Amino acid sequence: MNALRRQRALADYTIAALSRRKVKNLALVAVFSLVVFLLASAMFFASALRQEADAALEGAPDLIVQQLSLGRQAMISADLIDDLASIRGVRDVRGRLWGYYYDRVSGANYTVMVPEAGQMPPPGQVIIGEGIARARGLEWQGAPLFLSRKQGDLNRFDVAQTFESDSALLTADLLLMNAADFRAFFSVPEDMFTDLAASVRNPRERATVVDKASRAMPDARFVTRDDIARTYMKLFDWREGMMVALAAVAMLAFAIFAADKASGLSAEEAREIGILKAIGWDTRDVIAMKLWEGGFVSLGAFLLGTTAAYAHVFWAGAPLFAPVLKGWAVIYPAFRLAPGVDLSELVVLLLLTTLPYAAATVVPVWRAASADPDAVMR
Amino acid sequence: MITLSDVSKIYNEGRPNAVTALHAVTLTIARGGVTVFMGPSGSGKTTLLSLVGCMARPSTGRITLDGAPVSGLPERFLTDLRRRHFGFVFQRFNLIRGLTVLDNVMLPAAPLGEDPRAVQARALARLEALGLGPKALMPVEVLSGGETQRAAIARALVNDAPVLIADEPTANLDTALTHRFLDIVAALRDQGKTVLLTSHDPRIIAAAPVSAVVEMRDGQVVEVRS
Repeated sequence: MNALRRQRALADYTIAALSRRKVKNLALVAVFSLVVFLLASAMFFASALRQEADAALEGAPDLIVQQLSLGRQAMISADLIDDLASIRGVRDVRGRLWGYYYDRVSGANYTVMVPEAGQMPPPGQVIIGEGIARARGLEWQGAPLFLSRKQGDLNRFDVAQTFESDSALLTADLLLMNAADFRAFFSVPEDMFTDLAASVRNPRERATVVDKASRAMPDARFVTRDDIARTYMKLFDWREGMMVALAAVAMLAFAIFAADKASGLSAEEAREIGILKAIGWDTRDVIAMKLWEGGFVSLGAFLLGTTAAYAHVFWAGAPLFAPVLKGWAVIYPAFRLAPGVDLSELVVLLLLTTLPYAAATVVPVWRAASADPDAVMR
Repeated sequence: MITLSDVSKIYNEGRPNAVTALHAVTLTIARGGVTVFMGPSGSGKTTLLSLVGCMARPSTGRITLDGAPVSGLPERFLTDLRRRHFGFVFQRFNLIRGLTVLDNVMLPAAPLGEDPRAVQARALARLEALGLGPKALMPVEVLSGGETQRAAIARALVNDAPVLIADEPTANLDTALTHRFLDIVAALRDQGKTVLLTSHDPRIIAAAPVSAVVEMRDGQVVEVRS
């Protein structure tokens, strides 16, 4: 009970001490919060990118077969579906229809896909990603979307719904269309597909299956799930690497800040410690009080910084980072990342910001509090 | 009883700027009286009070408090002694600015883990006794010189320390406030407390409550008058 009361009394004094130097402490919290904000934003952004990669991979097929013509991808014949399905270990072979559409109105490229049977929109209707909805101002159900065919005529589609997905990075520019509409719009013959997708019963046999299939289809290219994973990792690692660089700069700023704090106390602070010791405070009491002070400042800055970073990354769409890190398409800078926070990373950030600050605060205080307090008598 | 045997204090010992502030002082201070240390600036009065009040350690010699040696004790024991035995009134009073009078007076009790209501009641009683009750919740910055001194005395007494140490307590006070201070000292003496003061002020030295005067010069005790 006494220990609790003692801590409460020390915390009360600390709050009073902090409020006595409002301007200085508010400036301190502001600078500290800014550093935490940068670190946390980088961390949230990197975490969200990893989440995007995971979400993208979740729906990826085990094997994709693409027809090559003159070394470039061409449409693939439906006849190859049976050839591929006949290879032992391969199942669920299906032809996929997808492509890109350049929209002159918004100046953006859309990814147009025909989804699997269960998600197929009815004829004349489309499901669009958030980015397209925003770019074309189609943010209500039933809104008409006019798209120009290569022949120059306009086709009308009604927006059945706006795409909701965990993977906003990949669905922002996505447009889902009925198979018949896709063939009519892009003039794709009935017996052709963009590529083929297949499942492999035993994931460890993917390489064997690819080996057999490449002998049966020498002019095709085979992309496995592992290849896609590697591509995504390269893509996201590069972006995460940028975040790490930003985080390193923020950490450096924090280190300079902490070193400055550790370099010493003001004459007023040293004198106050002398007074407290002279009137009966122990060195431990002074250090405990300063730990409370460091705790209030660093925890307050941590909460402010992380909350602001969360809002920045997940509500505002990371406007500070997005232009550099997200945009390969016109519509991307306006979209939002799916919220997701890695708790263990958050704990690491908490420890990285509060512990060094507390240590930086305590060292000079310990030095001042260890000295005899008779200087205050003079 | 506080005794000093052959006590010396050298600041910056071993360095070129070493200063001997006290030189082989031997002295006995009785409990329950008012002792005034007088002498010119630099005579060692403040250093002597610092040593007696366990705020510093002697370079050589021995100090005892009620027969127990205190001069060689580690810091945490000295802190405990300061808490239990001594209350300090500093020359500049050293109240913590930005806090209220009451908060300042309660400050020595903060690390003791006592019931805050009991501490507050005790602090208010001390302030009332010194005529500062109505100013308890005011920030210390608004107090006059005499009120600041009384607040510092209340703070020194909040833990009911048996020994009050005051360094030049009337240096910045006018005659009326000096007399008021002497009344407080007399009241403390009547309560059985020991009061140790340093002063240049002849009004203090000649005052009725004073039971002993220790005259110092060049770090040495030259005369003790009872």
